[in-house]
Amino acid sequence: MIADFFVGLEAFISATIRMAIPLALAGLGETYSEKSGILNIGLEGIMLCGAFFSFIVAFLTNSLAMGITAGILGGMIISSIHSFISIKYKADQTITGLALNFFVAGLTSYLFLLFFGKSTNLPECLMVPVINIPFLWKIPFFGPVLFQQDGYVYFTLFAVIITWILFYRTEWGVNLHAVGESPKAADSVGLNVIRIRYISAMVNGFFGGLAGSYLTLALLGFFMENITSGRGYIALVVVILGRRNPLGVLLASLLIGSANALQFQIQVKGLAVPSQVFIMFPYIITVVVLLFSIGKSHDPSSLGIPFTRSKR
Amino acid sequence: MKYLNNILSITIIILIIVLVTIGLISAIGSDVTKAITGFFWGIFGSFYGLSEVLVRATPLILAGLGVAIGFRTGFFNIGAEGQIYMGAIAATVIGLEFPNLPPFILIPLVILGGFLLGGFWAVIPGFLKARFGLSEIINTIMFNYIAINIVGILVRTSLKDPNYPLPMSPELPENMYLQQLLYPTRLHIGFIIALVASLLIYVLMWKMVAGFKMRAVGLNPRGSKCSGISVYKNILLASLISGGLAGVAGVSEIAGLHYRLLEGISPGFGYIAIIVALLGRNHPVGVVFAAIGIAALQVGSITMQVQSGVPTSISWIIMGLLVLLILARRTVSSVNSDQKEEATL
Repeated sequence: MIADFFVGLEAFISATIRMAIPLALAGLGETYSEKSGILNIGLEGIMLCGAFFSFIVAFLTNSLAMGITAGILGGMIISSIHSFISIKYKADQTITGLALNFFVAGLTSYLFLLFFGKSTNLPECLMVPVINIPFLWKIPFFGPVLFQQDGYVYFTLFAVIITWILFYRTEWGVNLHAVGESPKAADSVGLNVIRIRYISAMVNGFFGGLAGSYLTLALLGFFMENITSGRGYIALVVVILGRRNPLGVLLASLLIGSANALQFQIQVKGLAVPSQVFIMFPYIITVVVLLFSIGKSHDPSSLGIPFTRSKR
Repeated sequence: MKYLNNILSITIIILIIVLVTIGLISAIGSDVTKAITGFFWGIFGSFYGLSEVLVRATPLILAGLGVAIGFRTGFFNIGAEGQIYMGAIAATVIGLEFPNLPPFILIPLVILGGFLLGGFWAVIPGFLKARFGLSEIINTIMFNYIAINIVGILVRTSLKDPNYPLPMSPELPENMYLQQLLYPTRLHIGFIIALVASLLIYVLMWKMVAGFKMRAVGLNPRGSKCSGISVYKNILLASLISGGLAGVAGVSEIAGLHYRLLEGISPGFGYIAIIVALLGRNHPVGVVFAAIGIAALQVGSITMQVQSGVPTSISWIIMGLLVLLILARRTVSSVNSDQKEEATL
């Protein structure tokens, strides 16, 4: 009985981590971007593009490394378009992001049809292997949960720590905050606002593309139209809830990830209710979770506002 | 000089769009001439094609108007898709509850019901934004997913037609059908309703104090607050009307075309409505023309798919690209005027 419970709990926590990873990665990237003052609603498009290109390249080359690289590049391309239009042309960042989401949704389903036609069986690609951390994975309960995961999980933890150090313990982090809070002041002390914003946007594309590649290469093993199904938008919530702190972002993703995992666990019990009840559960949780950020969230002062150097 | 710049930039945009379209068509291995002929034939080749453009434009005008009002008031309503579904639910429930009411009572009743439920679905995010400053963008998107799943649940449970195994509602009573305009085309009174709605919205937003206040809040919330215009109330009002219009779009689709509640009644109309509002510069007249233009793009691309196998997702690529190019253009041409404005300030 107790053993059963632990097996169930183990499965639940593993599922939570799997569902949280894409949110954490994409949220981490968005944190860089928002700290520098660029609100990128196009995160959904970045992830979708990353998911598609990692899938297609992994499928064609049979190489995971190539697939992951392609996914990252795909994400960075979309992010660079967003940053170019919103920094260089000072366009509305929200609308640019939305337009990119439409664009990528159309483009990926177009390209998918181009490669595979209208076949009913989904083509499958390689999936990333589970890496057992020597010795540690044999620890009962904690071993399988923490030390028997794929490379993405370890990388995410690593990236969270590195990002935290970058943000709060380096001069670059101070500069990043300055650019987001007061670009004029940052500019007047000689920081290159535009360059820092471009770099942050590229980091966002990197992580967003990686998050997308996780969906196809680690979670599902195939690609379908609109595979992200709103995860990019949920990642934006994770950023707000995590108060743009890398550790907070990780915790917030685990919270929403657990809602997803719970949904799967209940769904397999085979209750006599339509599956839609469970499918909408994570979206409801996202709204509820957003309610808890009331009054606690502090946006960077220049979030969403283009920077014009000569402007007084 | 500015005039010339405008013409030049529009020409460049059209050129890019045409080149990308040709590139995409040839990439999939279709004959470009045949595909483009098919595209235009689909729109202008028959009376039915032309009427189909207006059929498609109907929900886009209604939902696009809603999104435009939201934008004007500073409420980014990305949730028209969900509000369309909520309007459709309201119409279905009212129609099935009161099948014997005469049309002149039942039709206004379902439209009102659709407006209120669609509006309700937008007022929640509107309230959360106005009261607590929560992002309406994220909330409206989450509400889309929730609404679509609610429809999925309803057509499998309490609203399911017991006579069919498929997930859909029973056929709605004839008393609530929107009259067809030009038999045998599918064009129905919904199109007229959409045109009347755009006229009403024009009067509301540009000829009445209420509309002036809403636009003031959109332009400068802080300034409005200082002049005694309540930002809170106006955002609530704008979100109600915004979602309400999308709800009416849902009613029109149900009562004018499908006559049942189904899961796929809106193939992304709510999202396309955002593009319609942007292209129409958030003005009722612009919205009507933009909706007809986008509807033509879609109808044409459907024929193009049938005749030469070019996937309809090409229309999403074109729409997204068009908005991106226009965003870049608007700011390019406004850079000069911005500097002038600053000089005078």
